[in-house]
Amino acid sequence: MSQTYTKKSSISKLNSKAGISSLLIFVILLLAWIAGFSSRLFAVIRFESIIHEFDPWFNYRATAYMVKHGFYNFLNWFDERAWYPLGRIVGGTVYPGLMITSGSIHYLLHLLHINVHIRDICVFLAPVFSGLTSISTYYLTKELWSKGAGLFAACFIAIVPGYISRSVAGSYDNEGIAIFALQFTYFLWIKSVKTGSVFWAVASALSYFYMVSAWGGYVFIINLIPLHVFVLLLMGRFSNRLFTSYTTFYILGLIMSMQIPFVGFQPIRTSEHMAASGVFALMFAVATLKYLQSMMSKSEFKSLVIYGGLIAAGIVFGTVVLLTYAGFIAPWSGRFYSLWDTGYAKIHIPIIASVSEHQPTTWFAFFFDLHVLVATFPAGLWYCIKNINDERVFVVLYALSAVYFAGVMVRLMLTLTPVVCILSGIAFSGLLELFLRDDEIAKPEESGDEEHTTPKNRKYDKVGRVPKMKHELNKEPDGIGPNIRTIISVVILLLLMLFAVHCTWVTSNAYSSPSIVLASYSGDGTRQILDDFREAYFWLSQNTADEARVMSWWDYGYQIAGMANRTTLVDNNTWNNSHIALVGKAMSSNESAAYTIMTALDVDYVLVIFGGVIGYSGDDINKFLWMVRIAEGEHPKDIKESNYFTEQGEFRIDGEGSPTLLNCLMYKLSYYRFGELKLDYRTPAGYDRTRNAVIGNKDFQLTYLEEAYTTEHWLVRIYRVKKPDEFNRPRIPVANRLVKSPNFVSKKSTKRKRGTLKNKPVIVKGKRLSSKQS
Amino acid sequence: MANIGSVVSKFYSEYSIKTPKKMKIIDAYLLYILLTGIVQFVYCLLVGTFPFNSFLSGFISTVGSFVLAVCLRLQVNPENKNQFQDISPERGYADFIFAHVVLHLVVMNFIG
Amino acid sequence: MTIFKMLKFLLFLFFSQLVSAAIVQIDQKLVNKNVERSIDLTSHLVKVTAAITLENTGTSPISNYLIVLEPGTSGNLSFISVKDALKEELVVKPTEVAGHTDKVFYNVILKQPLGGSRTVVLNLEYVLTEAIVPYPNEITQKEKQFVRYFGSHYFYTPYSTTKQTTTVTLNSRNIENYTKLKPVSQSDSSIIYGPYTDVAPFSFDVLSIHYENNAPFLTVTHLHRLIEISHWGNIAVEENIEIVHSGAKLKGPFSRYDYQRDTSSNHHSVKSYRTILPAAAYNIYYRDSNGNISTSTVRTRKDWIELELRPRFPLFGGWRSSYMLGYNVPSYQYLYKKGGNEYVLSMRLLDHIYDDMHVEELETNVVLPVGVKNVKLNAPYEVERLGDGKTFKYLDSLGRVVLRLKKSNLVEQHIQDLEISYEWDTLTLLHEPVLLAVALYVLFIIVIIYVRLDFSINKSEKKE
Repeated sequence: MSQTYTKKSSISKLNSKAGISSLLIFVILLLAWIAGFSSRLFAVIRFESIIHEFDPWFNYRATAYMVKHGFYNFLNWFDERAWYPLGRIVGGTVYPGLMITSGSIHYLLHLLHINVHIRDICVFLAPVFSGLTSISTYYLTKELWSKGAGLFAACFIAIVPGYISRSVAGSYDNEGIAIFALQFTYFLWIKSVKTGSVFWAVASALSYFYMVSAWGGYVFIINLIPLHVFVLLLMGRFSNRLFTSYTTFYILGLIMSMQIPFVGFQPIRTSEHMAASGVFALMFAVATLKYLQSMMSKSEFKSLVIYGGLIAAGIVFGTVVLLTYAGFIAPWSGRFYSLWDTGYAKIHIPIIASVSEHQPTTWFAFFFDLHVLVATFPAGLWYCIKNINDERVFVVLYALSAVYFAGVMVRLMLTLTPVVCILSGIAFSGLLELFLRDDEIAKPEESGDEEHTTPKNRKYDKVGRVPKMKHELNKEPDGIGPNIRTIISVVILLLLMLFAVHCTWVTSNAYSSPSIVLASYSGDGTRQILDDFREAYFWLSQNTADEARVMSWWDYGYQIAGMANRTTLVDNNTWNNSHIALVGKAMSSNESAAYTIMTALDVDYVLVIFGGVIGYSGDDINKFLWMVRIAEGEHPKDIKESNYFTEQGEFRIDGEGSPTLLNCLMYKLSYYRFGELKLDYRTPAGYDRTRNAVIGNKDFQLTYLEEAYTTEHWLVRIYRVKKPDEFNRPRIPVANRLVKSPNFVSKKSTKRKRGTLKNKPVIVKGKRLSSKQS
Repeated sequence: MANIGSVVSKFYSEYSIKTPKKMKIIDAYLLYILLTGIVQFVYCLLVGTFPFNSFLSGFISTVGSFVLAVCLRLQVNPENKNQFQDISPERGYADFIFAHVVLHLVVMNFIG
Repeated sequence: MTIFKMLKFLLFLFFSQLVSAAIVQIDQKLVNKNVERSIDLTSHLVKVTAAITLENTGTSPISNYLIVLEPGTSGNLSFISVKDALKEELVVKPTEVAGHTDKVFYNVILKQPLGGSRTVVLNLEYVLTEAIVPYPNEITQKEKQFVRYFGSHYFYTPYSTTKQTTTVTLNSRNIENYTKLKPVSQSDSSIIYGPYTDVAPFSFDVLSIHYENNAPFLTVTHLHRLIEISHWGNIAVEENIEIVHSGAKLKGPFSRYDYQRDTSSNHHSVKSYRTILPAAAYNIYYRDSNGNISTSTVRTRKDWIELELRPRFPLFGGWRSSYMLGYNVPSYQYLYKKGGNEYVLSMRLLDHIYDDMHVEELETNVVLPVGVKNVKLNAPYEVERLGDGKTFKYLDSLGRVVLRLKKSNLVEQHIQDLEISYEWDTLTLLHEPVLLAVALYVLFIIVIIYVRLDFSINKSEKKE
């Protein structure tokens, strides 16, 4: 690397001052990359190079499959180990960008005989891409404002917790690469709007294609860019540049997005994509009118232009509505409704509401994820509004929509984070420009800044803010005293330092837990690793038949498939609500009713997560009400949520709990023989540490199941479903079984197939554990 | 009606005088693509859209070509010189070719 | 007469050399004067040692001694060796004896021919695997594990035996039953049979013992050992181990509650075991397909490193596990220069996994450095050599030769050194750095060209 520096520096010496500033930029970006990369490694250093959480396990499994069997087999992969007995067409139901990215890196490295295991590539993919994100953020901000602001933004995004939360090493998920694709697409889009060049528009369409292949959030781009164009039209800022860039981008983006099997014909069939086509048609109408106007140069055509434009817009809108009613275009999917009406999901789709990521964001989360940026980004927004031009309109719209969405759903904080970084970069850069302008030791970024803004002013009709400030300063050089300047710069630097400290703290404490390996700290500070999940999954993989079917709640489906390599009934791809409801019904019925369901589904093993021994809060009993609710949604006759509450409407597991709860399968499997266990001398036997209560139903036997394995800390309990001949009980003929065939496919949840652990604690679990244990 | 007729005739005469020859060639090309598009659309209305991806790729390739040609026309037009400062006609033409390569590669992949 | 005898002897020698001692006769003049046999049944292996005093009752010298395996144990034999009184290894070769084709014989070639009416002492040692069978073969978690062993009261031999005693050592006093062929005595956990006198050749009388044995019945079903030599001073060893508890299968549920309450050390499940690594081992890792297994401790002893390995879960009868154990050792301890370009690697073909180990199948792969020539292999015992492979390590462009060796049914006694000698040129060590340097150089040149090219495009555009 040092060679690179010297080489670069020798070049820069030749090219004098411009070279030095570009060297500085290079070094700063490199440092931002390294800082971002290394702050994401907490999990690897503390634990090991391992895939985290739930969804990444599926992505990893799919990637490993692709590396082993090749790309085309991957696209045609029918996974019979998921969603037994339905199976899942994986190739057609994933965004393959992530797998292709890591697969091609793997291929390239192996071409050079650098034998890196695919797991390590997957683990380190997100941190590496965070560096690329910060570089593309730099370019985007540079186009929007200045190089200095760009460097600020790049440094912010490298370490901001809101982004780190999805891109720590091991968090091998779509978002890790999608944020890079998002920023890069926006950069190319801005570039193409600025120049009107077809080349940049094509490049941005290509980058959009990558984004489509990587993440369902591409819908955000395909709505934001038309919105930008539309607002520009309303502001009377139509130009031929805008026309060339948008039309090229749209038509290429449209056909390319349809290349992804999972997206298919959605771009012309669903309402989410219709805004883009509407604006496309509108652009043509406006362009034609403008052309006519230019040809005729008559004032009466001005009114024609306006009316014509409005009529065109009306026609486009009417067509879309008409087509929607006629059924050519699918109406908005449920997850999108839940974006507008936060209560929608709770009523109609409990499975979406059950995911903690889909809850509305709290104020605390904003500060936690963005820290000082949340306070400074309105300033940047103000700068942009004050000095508006074509591309700043874009960033303003980006900021406003992202703020709204982030407020609706916690996980959409991710789309807010980049724009907050950009605008805060602009704000900080503006502030420091103001206060460091006369200082001799100016911030290094300033030199680049000046050079850049001058040509920009030449190009555009609007005068930028930066030279104006310079002008003002020149006019009244004593407007701000040197003391105030020093104080303010020191305060700003302090703020930035606090920000950096906060980011590191949050990253290390909240976002660096692999969640499949738990750590607890005992009184003397030594760390204990609770490896129960892997213990259980490994037991499953080694000591059960290869085709054994494991029933568990859907949260653990991907992990069972990935680590134990066994067939699961439901998993984190929650596409089939009724199947999940069936599992929920089995869990919430009594043992014999559950046995009927389980034999109908050919279940061999049942896996439950039980945190009562160590005080782990994310266990199945705490999620149990969601199972009941989801089961009730599909089987309202058999399952009633109210039966699981006490008469006072409480959810209790102790002696006063409702008898339905105390006898359901989930309860029995969680607490089987727990009533005999005495955890310590102060508490009675059967004391549940998670819910701080003595269990209500202590002494019971299982008729239809037997304990097959329980991990060291009782965290994972696996039961074997007995065959009918293993107990004294007549076999039920198939015809008399009550369970309906689970072939009904729910349309509601086909759109976005993600979701993770409900009740996922925001603060590190290990910490909570330690407090409970000590 | 008469008003519109006069407008059209005026438009035509203005067009013949003001537009350079290069532009006219591009306009002829545009007209050709427009007609192709209309033919495709009528065909799909009469025969049906099966297979959908083939129809789509064909139609989008027409629309795409049209869009790109319009863009080229805008960039080449000397009247728009002030809007496209960095883009010389040659650069515009190179971009046009590049975009076409990308477009048709995708179309060929999609047409199945 | 003497000439004729000499001729006959020479002819015999000639034939025995030619057909590798295929036609060996049982010389009835040879008599086992005294056999002191001990059968060790404390683990899941049957370890038999016997001190045999031979006497040549005839006059002509005899140079070989035959050992015959008990009927039905030929597939179980893992290791056999015979030493003389001075603890020197004698050559033991499998052979066939005319008229006894149903039996498996081993021919021991004595150091010097045994003259008439002289005696010599031989120390026979052999190990049988899978000869101790759990009975009943399915038990619940709380039950003890009982096993059965079937053998012979008499030392099975093609010669007549004057006097013999057998000591059977068990690992518990809890003996369900055992055959009582008098004289027999039991004290504590050992049973002494004999002395029996004047036993005819090929006498066989079934000895059976049914007793409690809670020793870890672990079997390594497959061991893949990979040794990678780097002339930068490092040898990397990686073992992929598939292990199974081959004792009585667990019947019914596994209860964690009962398991946690049962604190007695003498349980048939296996919680952990010790692996001994070379003293110089460093960078030790212990992991499986799901990542690191955090439950292991390393203890450094004076002459070795002791690794306490705990599988992710306790192993009950019939439960499997698999893991990967790897470490590095400095090459100076195992790699010697033998003048010129010739190097000799001396590494263990098989290393310790746990005490009284039993490996069903071993595959040892040795990855040699880039560009080796004239590879010679010297194995301590007979191994099957599979075809050489080729592998590419970091930035290799030429590929490295992989020696692949295979053997089945091994025990602790097989931990012996393998010697590989090869010729290798020191300069090839520079192969990869040079390659890397060239690649970087090309990269920088491309960057320079790109930077220049960038300028030219700008200029041309400005011209237009």
